[in-house]
Amino acid sequence: MSWNTDLDRFGDGVHVPAVRVHQLLGLALLTLAAASPAAETELSVVQVINFGQQPAWDAPWRFETVQRGSGSGFVIKGKRIMTNAHVVSWARQIIVRRYQDPRPYLAEVEFIAHDCDLAVLRIKDERFFEGIEPLEFGGLPKVRSTVVTYGYPAGGEEISYTRGVVSRIERQPYSHTGIRHFLACQTDAAINPGNSGGPVVQEDRVVGVAFQGMQGLENAGFFIPPPIIQHFLKDIEDGRYDGFPRVGIQLAGTQSPAYRSWLKLPDNGTGARVDRLLPICNKSGVLLEEDVLLRIGDYPVASDATILFEGNRVSAGVAFQLAQVGDTLPIQVWRDGKEISLQLPMEACEVDRAAGFQYDVLPRYFVHGGLVFTPLSLDFLRTAGIDAADPGHGELIYELRMRPTDDPRNARPEPVVLATVLPHEINANWSVRGRAMVDRINGVRIEKLEDVVRAFEQNRSDFDVVEFVPHHAVETLPRAKLAGANTEILSNYGIPSDRRL
Amino acid sequence: MNLRPVIFAAAALALAIAAAPTARAQSQPAQTPAAESPWTRSIVTLEVARKQYDFLQPWNTRNRSAVKTGIVIGPREVLTTAAEMFDRTLVRLQKDGAGEWWVGEVTWVDYHANLALVTTEAAAFWEGLEPVELRTAAADAALQIARWRQGNLELRRAEFTCYVVREAELSGINHVMLACDSDIVGLNGGEPLIANGHCAGLVTTQSGRACTVTPASLIRSILEARRQGAYRGLGYFHWFWQPAVNLDSLARLKLPGRPRGVIVIEVPERPDGAPTVMKVGDIILSIDGFEVDTSGNYRDPEFGRILIENLSTRGKWAGDESRLRVWRDGQELEVAYRLPKHEFTNALVPAARYDTPPEYLIVGGLVFVPLTDEFLQSWGPEWKRKAPFRLLYYRNQPRTREQPALILLSQMLPDPYNIGYQDQRLLVVQKVNGQPISRLSQIQQALQQPVQGYHQFEFMPGDAIKRLVVKAGEEETEATARVLKRYGIREARRLAD
Repeated sequence: MSWNTDLDRFGDGVHVPAVRVHQLLGLALLTLAAASPAAETELSVVQVINFGQQPAWDAPWRFETVQRGSGSGFVIKGKRIMTNAHVVSWARQIIVRRYQDPRPYLAEVEFIAHDCDLAVLRIKDERFFEGIEPLEFGGLPKVRSTVVTYGYPAGGEEISYTRGVVSRIERQPYSHTGIRHFLACQTDAAINPGNSGGPVVQEDRVVGVAFQGMQGLENAGFFIPPPIIQHFLKDIEDGRYDGFPRVGIQLAGTQSPAYRSWLKLPDNGTGARVDRLLPICNKSGVLLEEDVLLRIGDYPVASDATILFEGNRVSAGVAFQLAQVGDTLPIQVWRDGKEISLQLPMEACEVDRAAGFQYDVLPRYFVHGGLVFTPLSLDFLRTAGIDAADPGHGELIYELRMRPTDDPRNARPEPVVLATVLPHEINANWSVRGRAMVDRINGVRIEKLEDVVRAFEQNRSDFDVVEFVPHHAVETLPRAKLAGANTEILSNYGIPSDRRL
Repeated sequence: MNLRPVIFAAAALALAIAAAPTARAQSQPAQTPAAESPWTRSIVTLEVARKQYDFLQPWNTRNRSAVKTGIVIGPREVLTTAAEMFDRTLVRLQKDGAGEWWVGEVTWVDYHANLALVTTEAAAFWEGLEPVELRTAAADAALQIARWRQGNLELRRAEFTCYVVREAELSGINHVMLACDSDIVGLNGGEPLIANGHCAGLVTTQSGRACTVTPASLIRSILEARRQGAYRGLGYFHWFWQPAVNLDSLARLKLPGRPRGVIVIEVPERPDGAPTVMKVGDIILSIDGFEVDTSGNYRDPEFGRILIENLSTRGKWAGDESRLRVWRDGQELEVAYRLPKHEFTNALVPAARYDTPPEYLIVGGLVFVPLTDEFLQSWGPEWKRKAPFRLLYYRNQPRTREQPALILLSQMLPDPYNIGYQDQRLLVVQKVNGQPISRLSQIQQALQQPVQGYHQFEFMPGDAIKRLVVKAGEEETEATARVLKRYGIREARRLAD
């Protein structure tokens, strides 16, 4: 009975999201034989091939091997191609292929929205758009209505169509960052790896962008519905992507008659209670704990913390997500036994982004005496093979995912880990060899990577002292040998620079 | 310190295992003793019936029975391990592997030391049983594990691996264990390790071929101290240390001479409130005259190179003093450290609470229980990975004066009284009616002071709700009665204090 409407965090502990993005593999195809769609539509559907390269988070100066990923996309107004963010993340080169056209076209990312997994691409070669009509968007499809997906899934080279019904519409985890939930449509049309970014069409209009499947569910694919797509397109109108607003509250239902009478709330099935203000967002201070949200914008809030959105009962958090950052949303609130009207500014909140997967920004690091320091991130944990539910690394996981909201007073803005120790005579006797969270260096509490650099560079004593969490394990480096060692280590391990800050 | 496994102790442990034991050669090929050897008749079988609790439904009790092995070590005295002996309802003894069962009585049990003494009033049982001497195996002795199986004595050769300091089976305490390999399968604990007709130890656990044995000298020293009235339970070192293999750390602390000792990195408050004595940055050079090497080992005359944790149980008990030489602030000094008693309640999340039925409190369908390892073990054999992350996280947090223990709202037994909260569970209680909570009795007291006719429950930050309100008074009383009736629960509470 509790909904994380805003800080879309995780079930108790276990959270490598259940949702897995289909991108590279997959076989099954259901080709649509009957009711062939309008020929113009497939002309506008493209294959997007991304030669991407991710950094190595445990050796942040290095890149992993180039991976070829393939997804789909479609042409929209303004000579843009819409696709999924995950299709074009970490791109080194993006090639777009037209329907039954052998020529590869080079594309570039114009805007990318990792939170809602959407991107638009530009193509320089004007010839690409010859004979192609941009696809128009429709509205949110009805549940039980039929949709057709277009795309270039694995298992062949040609375009593929699959047909299905809209099974349900509700808020779902978007696995690209792993920390956000938005409105999504579930369909039984086969959505397979390679379909990602392709249009979901109803009556010649795009009513969604195929984006992910879910492990353990059969005949269930998910697509991003028009309200999220339109939000993204409107957001980038000013030339910048701000993302979805975050209010920073945890809502709970008010179905308990006891709680309702405690709050003197009429017994009419409305209202969601602000159970908790999350310290990482919620800058405006308009909402207070124990406020009951009766109406958000145009949407009355029910006592199970839902709203009725175009005929679908969805989490009340959707009402906030329909607004743009910078908007002010009128809300009706039950406070101290009476109803009041408030104006809630819609704000962006980037603070918790580190808790999710990162894209297109190279990891920061600092190498000192062979010690590789980098910010703690979900990507680092994944690279280091640390399961997000592994209590053996409980401190790292708690620090990254829970302390910012559970224990904000002791939370560090950017926890830093000793990722690894590059073997050299100077550090050969260290018993802490990496994957350890840094507490203090030379007595300075490490709140962010810059503190590491400062703590080392301002030290004038004979030794550098690094303390770790938990239990304050301590290691020492002799400063007299450092200068030579640093040069040797950078050269031995082919590290172009000792830092990326 | 060994409230929880210590990463650095563990690292050192690995080294200890790798180091070849100096005081011992490989065991000789097994010899089959004559069936009539007196010691063979000293091995007895125990059958233990006990209560087994369901910690998710703590009002439920099931029965469990186990068969294990013991050995006669003195007049009317059978020694076995403490495993399966808790919450017992009946203990019976059988000799010669067959025939009559005699009702036994546990005269002493120590769950930290994992030892129990059992006797029986039946004189006939003791006829023909000769006590076996507890004695450390000679370096060249052939080792055998013995037990009765289907009426015959099963003797299997065991091969000595090493002595190692390891966490005890039923408690977080670390002490010396004998590690050996054997082909014997399905050991239940208490089987004697026989060497030259003596008992060289009792098997505690088995994993594949690897067996862990509590060595005779540790058992003997505990039993002798007990006879003399000097045994007050096992003590331990209540601090965290780190190997000083990083010689630069020793240089920074200006330790003169050759590298030695380990570095104290954290000194938590003592559970008994006594002065902590040790300081962060201390280099422990020796304990009770035994020099400490940079890996945290000392050279034990009996066990060879082994972790210093063992010095807290080597002929010393809770309340005894260990004498340490430490390097502190540029000088060497002697420190007397009084060993705190190893108690389950020393941890924020206690491992267990044996011989006491689990506590609970039901208020209108809201079920409250203490957070313990036993509760978390409801998630099955892999509970340390599968139980909820946040609950596991608390296991590594320190117990403080303000928060000595944790209480959970473990589940909701659905009733009209708690409608709207049916899905709430596994919430750590922070406050009830504004009063901080770390024991069930505090909830009961707080419920005596409702706020304007309501009870307010507040929970620790988490992914679920922070606050919950139910009605106090008659509705609450009626709901509790209704829930008890509907769910077949006899009592609304079982509190220890």
